[in-house]
Amino acid sequence: MQTLIEARQLSKSFGTFRAVNEVSFTVEAGEIFGLLGPNGAGKTTTLRMLSGLLTPSGGSAFMNGFSMRDQQMEARSSMGFLTGDMDLYRRLTPVELLEYFGKLYNTPSNVLKQRIERLVDAFGIAPFANKHCEKLSTGQKQRVSIARTLVHDPKVVVLDEPTTGLDIMASEFILQFIRKMAKEEGKALIFSTHNLTEVERLCDRIAIIHQGNLEYLGDIGTVQQQTGTQQLAAAFFELVKAETATL
Amino acid sequence: MRKSIIATIFRKEIKEVLRDKRMLYLVILMPFFLYPVMFTLIGSIGASQQEKLQQEKFTVLLSPEGAGSPIEALLKQDTSLTVVTQSYDKTLLDSMSNTIGITLPADFAQQWAEGQSVKVSIMADQSDDAVEMRCKIIDAQLQALNEQMLQERLTAKELPSSFARPLAVEQIDIAEEKQAARVLASFLPMMVLLFIFIGCIYIAIDITAGEKERRTLQTLFTAPVSTGEIIAGKFAAVSVVGIVSAAMNLLSLLLAMNIQIWFMSKSSSTFSISMSGTDWGWMALLILLATLFLGALSLAVVLLANTYKEAQSYVSPLMMIVMIPSMLAGMPGAELNNQTALIPVYNVALAIADLLKGNAQTSLLLLVAGVSLAAGLLALYLASLTFGNENVITGEKVDFKSLLSRRKS
Repeated sequence: MQTLIEARQLSKSFGTFRAVNEVSFTVEAGEIFGLLGPNGAGKTTTLRMLSGLLTPSGGSAFMNGFSMRDQQMEARSSMGFLTGDMDLYRRLTPVELLEYFGKLYNTPSNVLKQRIERLVDAFGIAPFANKHCEKLSTGQKQRVSIARTLVHDPKVVVLDEPTTGLDIMASEFILQFIRKMAKEEGKALIFSTHNLTEVERLCDRIAIIHQGNLEYLGDIGTVQQQTGTQQLAAAFFELVKAETATL
Repeated sequence: MRKSIIATIFRKEIKEVLRDKRMLYLVILMPFFLYPVMFTLIGSIGASQQEKLQQEKFTVLLSPEGAGSPIEALLKQDTSLTVVTQSYDKTLLDSMSNTIGITLPADFAQQWAEGQSVKVSIMADQSDDAVEMRCKIIDAQLQALNEQMLQERLTAKELPSSFARPLAVEQIDIAEEKQAARVLASFLPMMVLLFIFIGCIYIAIDITAGEKERRTLQTLFTAPVSTGEIIAGKFAAVSVVGIVSAAMNLLSLLLAMNIQIWFMSKSSSTFSISMSGTDWGWMALLILLATLFLGALSLAVVLLANTYKEAQSYVSPLMMIVMIPSMLAGMPGAELNNQTALIPVYNVALAIADLLKGNAQTSLLLLVAGVSLAAGLLALYLASLTFGNENVITGEKVDFKSLLSRRKS
């Protein structure tokens, strides 16, 4: 299997506060990797370092073999990144938005046209393709956001809370799409969420971060075994509680 | 830097501006209609007020010595005046509205007959605009009578009219033809710079702090696009809107001024300035360089804000950077020289004024252009520091030290 994402002892400090402390993991092609942790654990900071939005205080990140520090353009080109901190341009239509990002990713125009048609079809965007994004519903916006993340056909996809605020139908649609992307197209996918049921359904492996430290890295079955629990949620509480108690 | 990426960012920003009705109204359409409407309104109100004042009825209290005099006859010719021959004092005048007192000396008739110079006193409460205007009209009528009497006395003595004017002084103002340019030079540079700033600042806020608030800026920074390309694309959009805004505002202002002149003079005379093609070229270059500076400065500063509202609080201090130097440039005595040419904004305002008046020196214009370019590049560098700061982009707290540390890309 080809390693497409690598976090190598990633650390980030804001002044004297250590937000992320030497976090390391890899994600292979075709793998869905869950990044879990309570609020303020350091997940978003880790994802921002992986995307190049933040420069690590220590360690390094690699996307598709490219260093985010030294080969930033190549690394960014290999990645589609979506977090809850990202929204759509209000006064562009979904198609214009996809064209805009396709061009920023240097996609040839004939390829881009076909890719947009495919994404519009796959995400059911056609009925609202020519509406300004500010007029779209939350579910419609999220479909467009994910389509935007994939417009340049990246090998690596990072999705932070992609189903937050969506109804059950929209969430299910997105989860199915994520599975298909990883398993059929061989993309490496980091999936960060607070919804542990979704993690159990989707993820091949998980990492649990708490207070900036990597508390667990492995598959779901092992963490349940280690904590003597039957469900991921119980294992998660057990790990986080144990860590908090030692402080 | 890749031109295609810069062009893509520029086109997207302009497309969003053109679809933002609020920005179009505020920066382009509103000023275009506001000035002509405002000036037309002021002009028509002013003209009707003038007419009303002229038609207002007044009472003139003429001291008894004036009964039957040429002065009484003169005043009675004016149908808007009611002439009453009676004694009066200040208290009486104060108690009466629209009343003017004219006092002649007790031996008026004798002095008049002997050809002496007779003292005529006009007493009125000139704090009232209508009374003040009427006093000026009466004064002008008396001056005409004065002139007529002088001619009669000279004729009676068989003297030529030149006898009373040993020196016939004539002033020839060679700058008369440049009057319009002088008037424009006193305020137009400030207006130009202000309009550029207003045009730049609102789009700068929208595409920086506005994008941060709408959570779209981070998306752009995760794309394989360099900070330089992002700045260049956004800066080009800010500059174009700044220049278009200035052009629209100026066109509107000049149109409005002509409307105002028409109202004041009831003629079709217009402001005309004679500038050579080279002067216009210099003016365009200086406006472009001023836009470079103000656009880059606006981008650098407002990106520090995390919300539209916060960014708006930066507008007033930034506006002072434009207003104060450009106002000072319009004051009497302000001139472009080797020292003042080194002060950004002030130098451009002075140079535009000199170009309008037709006294611009090429060496000084070159110096102003050089200084403006340097200031613009410095502002762009500041913008690159702001855009290159990860705390600014992610909306974290920004300290001065971290602002000076460049990030890669």
